[in-house]
Formats: sequence, C-alpha cells, structure tokens
Amino acid sequence: MASIGDFIEKFTTAVDFQEPVEITPDTVFADLSQWDSLAALGVIVMFDMEYGKTITGETLMSCTTIHDLFALIG
Amino acid sequence: MGLSTLRNVRYRGMATCVPKHKVSNLDCPPSRKAERERLARNIGIYERRLCPEWQCFSDLAFDATERLLAALEWQRNEIDALIAVTQSPDYLIPSTAIILQDRLGLSHATIAFDVNLGCSAYPFALHLVGSMIAAGTVKKALVLVGDRSGSVREPLFSDAATATALEYDVSAPPIFFDLNSDGSGFRAIMLPVGGHREPAGLQHFIPYKDADGEWRRPDDLQLDGAAVLSFSTQRVPPAVKRLMEYAGTSPDSIDYFVFHQANRMINETIRKKLGLPPEKVPSTLQDFGNTSGASIPVTMTARIRGELASRKNRVLLSGFGIGLSWGTALVDIEGAVFPELIEA
Repeated sequence: MASIGDFIEKFTTAVDFQEPVEITPDTVFADLSQWDSLAALGVIVMFDMEYGKTITGETLMSCTTIHDLFALIG
Repeated sequence: MGLSTLRNVRYRGMATCVPKHKVSNLDCPPSRKAERERLARNIGIYERRLCPEWQCFSDLAFDATERLLAALEWQRNEIDALIAVTQSPDYLIPSTAIILQDRLGLSHATIAFDVNLGCSAYPFALHLVGSMIAAGTVKKALVLVGDRSGSVREPLFSDAATATALEYDVSAPPIFFDLNSDGSGFRAIMLPVGGHREPAGLQHFIPYKDADGEWRRPDDLQLDGAAVLSFSTQRVPPAVKRLMEYAGTSPDSIDYFVFHQANRMINETIRKKLGLPPEKVPSTLQDFGNTSGASIPVTMTARIRGELASRKNRVLLSGFGIGLSWGTALVDIEGAVFPELIEA
C-alpha cells in the first residue's frame, strides 16, 4: 500500500523543483509557481515507473490537489 | 504487416553530416538560467546543431552522400535508387531526392523520390529501400534520412542529415522489421498550417502566449508533450520485445540498442522498461539534441562508429514519433563503412 508521504516525496523529485516547496495533500499542484508542462511529463513518468500506472495528460489535469493525484494510484 | 524479414540486403555503410554551428540551451538571460538548467537536465539536451539561414537538409545530405560514395568506392552510374526520407524538403514540390539526383551526378536511370516521415524514419527507410533491393531489381541504393527541424526558439530539435547505402547480396544476413502506424494520434505532433486543410494566412502570423508563458504562433510546430511521452513509453518497449521474439534473439546477443533520441525522460523510461544496461544504449541527446529521423544514424556515427567499422555487430534500431509511427529493425552489420562525422 502506497503512503501519501512517500508519494509526495516522489512527486517532488519528479517535478524537479528549483526552489524548495512545501507540499501537503491539500496543495493545488497547478498553482505551484514552478508547475509547468515539463513538471507534468515528470509526474506522468513517475506514475508509470514507480506505480506501474499509465495516466494521460488529460487525467493529470483533471486532478486539483496532490491527494487527487495520489488517489489515481488506486 | 507489422513483422517481416528482408533477405539478400546488405547494409554497406552510412555517413552523417551536421551543421558546424552549435547552440547551447543554457545560452539565455541570467534571470532564466535556473529554469533553463532544469529544462536541459530533464530533457537531457545541452547543445544542438543548427543550420545557418542558407543551409538546407539537402546540403547536409549532399555532403554525407559524397563522403559515403568516396568511402564505398561506388561509381555514380551504378546507383539505381536515391530515396530521401525527410520533412524538410528544399521546396514543397518537387521531391528533393530528384534535385539531388542531378546535383550528385547520378544517372537519369535512378529512381528518386521523397518520403514524408520524421522521428520514426530510419527503420521505415531501411525497409522501403531494402524491399526494392530484395525484389532483385535494384542492386545499389542510397537512402537519405534527416531533417532541418531545429530553431533557436525551442530547446529540443537539432539539424542533421545521413546517407545509408544498401546493396543486393545473396550472402547477406536477414534484416528483421516491426513497423507500425496509428493515425488517430496525428495531432500529437503536427505543423497544422500551410497544407490544404489550413492554407497559411495572415491570421497565422499573430503571436500568442502559451500555457507556459512562451510566445508562439499558430503556424509553429504543435507538440503535445504528454501525448508523445505516453505513446513512446507505452508502445516502443513491447514492440522491441516483439521483434526480438520474432527474430529469435535476446538482449544478450544484441550489441547495441539505438533508439530515436527524443528526450531524456522518454529514452530513459524506454531503456529502463526494457531492462537494458546504459552501455548498450548509446545516446547523443546531450550534444546533438533530437535530430528527428536522423537521430539513430547520428548516434551510430557519433558514438559507436569505431565498433561498427571494426567488427561484426547486431544492432537494434528503433524509431518513433510523428504520425504516429513507430518501427524497429534488427540488422547484422559487418564489413560496412562508417566515415567520421562530417561538420559542414
């Protein structure tokens, strides 16, 4: 069973933030100043390689918070 | 068709030409340095080669062909076919290959035409020309693959052209292919303006800011990064496995896996999914970027030329991208010529 703490750590690595960012399950990821199309690609790869889960760009952008993303792991 | 085998086709050699002019992806205003470093790190591309204004794909292809013909010691009147696989023609019409037939001094009896394929081009090019040879009518052929797709405004694409020589030879080992197309994804990478569906008009020249805050124009290349990433990382690994199974081979007996150089995220995901060691998967992303259809031969020349020229190698070549289109070829190369990288 995946933990959300572990997920947040993987998410942070995948986005490759330039500046340290505090992320909680309620964070609206698209509002993060460093969120961009490159970050989205990193998260799609992370889902595939870390959780064996294929998600599309549309599925990703249909989510609002980090918790919504975590729920995609299923 | 998918899987197929071609016999009596010998891979005789290949030459690569890139522009001399280098552009760094880190060459930017100081305020954007950190952002550009993050971008370069993730796409794996630091330096690219761009043609100056006057230089076209055909100029690079001409130089590559001249060098290859000299190394092969082929006579120009022996060449039966000259096929260009490019999305960077000199003119919309006629075919660039026909213009090159004359420029290269090849005979009027040469079959010459262009094929419109991009990142997936190389395995398809080998299959097309290989099929002409396998049928026994064409004995010596050249296939020119590459594009002038780079620009200073985006960080991915880089310019290159390559010339590959194939010859009829009954003692040649078989070449195995897996070739696929899926037009439902045609919007993932496209130049939407300038064809008959959407002829160019003044409205296409008005810039707008995209979701990442970059200035773009409606007549720019459109690239849906997420769609391309999903397509590449989902379709390519099973296709590579299918071809190895069909050819009765395993990763251990393949010397090199040369993939289209898309970007680091895509290429590393494919490599890891196939469980391949980095030393068997050469990469030129760092210093040559994404050279479209030329990226497989560019990587062969720039990274493993010495090995390819000096001993027998079994190489798996896999291209994927615009179309959507993806193809893989398994080729045994021995006694072929690989001139040094040409910079023009």
